[in-house]
Amino acid sequence: MPQLLMENIMKSYVIGNESIHAVNNASLEVNRGEFISIVGHSGSGKTTLLSIIGGIVKPTSGRVLFEGTDIYSFDSDRLSEYRCETIGFMFQFASLLPMLTVKENLMLPVVFKNGRRAGGADANERKAVELLGMVGLGDKINAYPSQLSGGQQRRVAIARAFMNDAEIILADEPTGDLDEETESDMMRLFKKVNEERRITFIMVTHNTDIAKQTRRQMRMSQGAIATL
Amino acid sequence: MTKEFTLLSLAVRNLKRKPLRTVILAVAIGLLVTALVFALSFIRRVDSSIKMTSDRLGADLLIVPTGSRGAAEDVLLENKAKSFYMDKGVIEKIRKVKGIDKMTYQTYLVTLSGLCCDVPESVVVAFNQDTDFVIKPWLTKKLGRRLRKGEAIVGSESAFNISVGLVDVDSVLFGNVFKMVGVLDKTGTGLDTALFIDESNIDDIIRKGKSSIQPGQISVVFAKVKKGLDPYKVAGEIEDSVIEVDTIARKDIGKNIINALRDINQIFAVTVTLASVLAAFLAWAVFSAIANERSREVGIMRAIGAKESHIVKLFILEVFIIGSLGSVLGIISGTALSLALAKSFTILKNISTDLGIVERSLIALSGLAIGTGVCIIGALSPVRKVKRLEPLVVIKGE
Repeated sequence: MPQLLMENIMKSYVIGNESIHAVNNASLEVNRGEFISIVGHSGSGKTTLLSIIGGIVKPTSGRVLFEGTDIYSFDSDRLSEYRCETIGFMFQFASLLPMLTVKENLMLPVVFKNGRRAGGADANERKAVELLGMVGLGDKINAYPSQLSGGQQRRVAIARAFMNDAEIILADEPTGDLDEETESDMMRLFKKVNEERRITFIMVTHNTDIAKQTRRQMRMSQGAIATL
Repeated sequence: MTKEFTLLSLAVRNLKRKPLRTVILAVAIGLLVTALVFALSFIRRVDSSIKMTSDRLGADLLIVPTGSRGAAEDVLLENKAKSFYMDKGVIEKIRKVKGIDKMTYQTYLVTLSGLCCDVPESVVVAFNQDTDFVIKPWLTKKLGRRLRKGEAIVGSESAFNISVGLVDVDSVLFGNVFKMVGVLDKTGTGLDTALFIDESNIDDIIRKGKSSIQPGQISVVFAKVKKGLDPYKVAGEIEDSVIEVDTIARKDIGKNIINALRDINQIFAVTVTLASVLAAFLAWAVFSAIANERSREVGIMRAIGAKESHIVKLFILEVFIIGSLGSVLGIISGTALSLALAKSFTILKNISTDLGIVERSLIALSGLAIGTGVCIIGALSPVRKVKRLEPLVVIKGE
């Protein structure tokens, strides 16, 4: 059984009298431990597709099966648990809470996991510090987002996605604000985590060079998805 | 062990982001609770004083000279020094009315400092120790014996006024020397400022001519009705058969004050209701603004796994913190205000009862519940709205 199966996903928005298909009849099968990249122009529906997989946006039609169960058959709480425990989301935009320190931003998904994780506050804090070290921000644990550059904020969001031991990482332009060297470092980190922990990666990017580093490449155009 | 990061710490952090806004809402809630605590303290103090007085007198009926109901209540409830008299012969007339179980009587004499007496203006209560059931419980407890002729015992507040303390002191009352043999415990009635003597002293007082009382006069008769009988019915029969008296049933003691209080209660009720509506509206406005400002953050939290209940809990925690903070401020200031202004209200000035710790605690709890409740009610609509936000829509700001 594939870890993730999307069947004929449609997402339409009505603007005025016109219906726009952000995702148009997209189907995709993803096995555990795969590293997939999705390339495409702006507005091609990549972010919407990622959001549908992540349980953030409900499709107009079609099904998203995680280990055989349609995630949109879940009630609101169960869907939140899916987002919290199964998915690690790296957003395209700044997604840190400004009043929290870097470390607290990392602890936030743990708070929402509501103590179901083994280990107490100390264990979670150690993990947060370790993840920040992995993204090169070990010295910024008590800094606030406003004290960080855009690239540093992006790396904090990357670390946060790993905090709850997600089974699937959904990365929307994760290296967008990063310089070349950091971009390479992050890609190395993703590949390492993907290989060592068999965590599935679905990454959206504009950058075809980055996409080439993944094992399976897809393209989205006008809402439709196809193998590259 | 490091301090655990929880929703509560997140709520506190959120409130610190705009401290002025937090303080303004807390102060608004505080003002509401101040008004509430002050009003409740005022009403409860008058109410419980009247109830305590009627209970402690131990009589079902008070029988006073015609037209002296108000004066009797003034003495018993408000510590006012007043005298009123009727012929002692009424006792026998009252005894003939069916339904009377027990009776005793008291005579009130008013001291005038420097003219007749060397104590401040107060009421001297002459009572019959053989029939008394009003003063005896306190007297027995404090003195353990009957009062002798030439002896007086003082009410708890009178002791303070006369500065006798607890030692034997001689004082001149109506030209006669009285030995002050002790101080009664606080009764919570107007009689706390009175001095008590046995009625056998009345003849000596009349002889000295320093009081307006005439031989054979008394002020009030206290009566208990037989078990199972309606005191109002017995009171009606007394008034029908003894024309020179008026009666006051126990439940009607302080009725005039309660009637006067009804208007004050309404003013308090309108003030507190308006303050509640204003505070709820302010909470709504503040939390609507907060919900708009933080919609993107809420979207992010929902996207990384927050349930609707987490968002509600986070906002309600913030509301609760502001509400309880304001309520505590209001409880402190309301209590302080009620104590500070107590002596500015004539109605309270003359009431000796203060509220007990249990009653004050109940008022404080009511203040806390209403202050926090109003804040939560005001914030409910914006919180409901924000929990339903579509994560991606608000994150992207669409």
